[in-house]
Amino acid sequence: MNLEDELRSALRRREPSPDFTARVMARVAAGPARTRPRPWIRWAAAIAAALALTAGGYEYRQYRGERARDQVLLAMRIAGSKLNKAHKMVQTVSHRSNS
Amino acid sequence: MKTAGLLIALLLAAAAAPAQQVKWNFDKLAARASDTVDVSLSGSLLQLAAKFLSDDDKDQAKVKKLVVGLKGIYVKCFEFKKEGEYTAADLESFRAPLRSPDWERVVGVHSSEDGENVEVYMKNEAKGIGGLAIIASEPKELTLVNIVGNIDLDSLSELGGSFHIPEVEMEKKKP
Repeated sequence: MNLEDELRSALRRREPSPDFTARVMARVAAGPARTRPRPWIRWAAAIAAALALTAGGYEYRQYRGERARDQVLLAMRIAGSKLNKAHKMVQTVSHRSNS
Repeated sequence: MKTAGLLIALLLAAAAAPAQQVKWNFDKLAARASDTVDVSLSGSLLQLAAKFLSDDDKDQAKVKKLVVGLKGIYVKCFEFKKEGEYTAADLESFRAPLRSPDWERVVGVHSSEDGENVEVYMKNEAKGIGGLAIIASEPKELTLVNIVGNIDLDSLSELGGSFHIPEVEMEKKKP
């Protein structure tokens, strides 16, 4: 068999089976087939989301804590220096009045 | 009888009321200042900060001890480009809330040489010191400190002399 015959044989018209139309109409009426995600994918997604939230929360808490620590140190330094200044000024005045 | 009960209830409520920060209005000065430092830490943030203060670092360990009894730290520091940007009336407005019977001025020093003034106020409570307020003014700088809660003044003063932390970085005011 040459190529031309082979093609003719492969592309020849074939009649559908008698119930073809009925089967197509039944499928159309049933609507699109729904694929349900596998349960483990849902669990994995939930765990990944929980981990991401936990990690984000930890990072944020760390950032807030370090920032608060720096602010406390700065505030204490300012307050301490002003008290120190007052203390020194009082000492200077008392030295002057004693001498 | 009812009046006495009401009075007792009010007194108990006042005794149980949490220590409050001093109500200062900074709007006018903030507009005139060239640089500002603003620290505002309430109780929950202070407790969080305490967890991040190291026990190994000598200065941080001291601060950690101090912070334990505190309920709030509020610091405002204004720097001005030239003298006369704040008035005696401005200072008076900061002193006004400290004129209540709870507060007592413990130190008030004035240096005529460099025009520096430092006033230290303490809040007396039944349990001891309930807070501290400092008004420190220089010709081109004004600092207001309010620490709410029980504070050890000697330890705080020590910190001011030997703190190994970077110099105060003033926040540049946006034009």
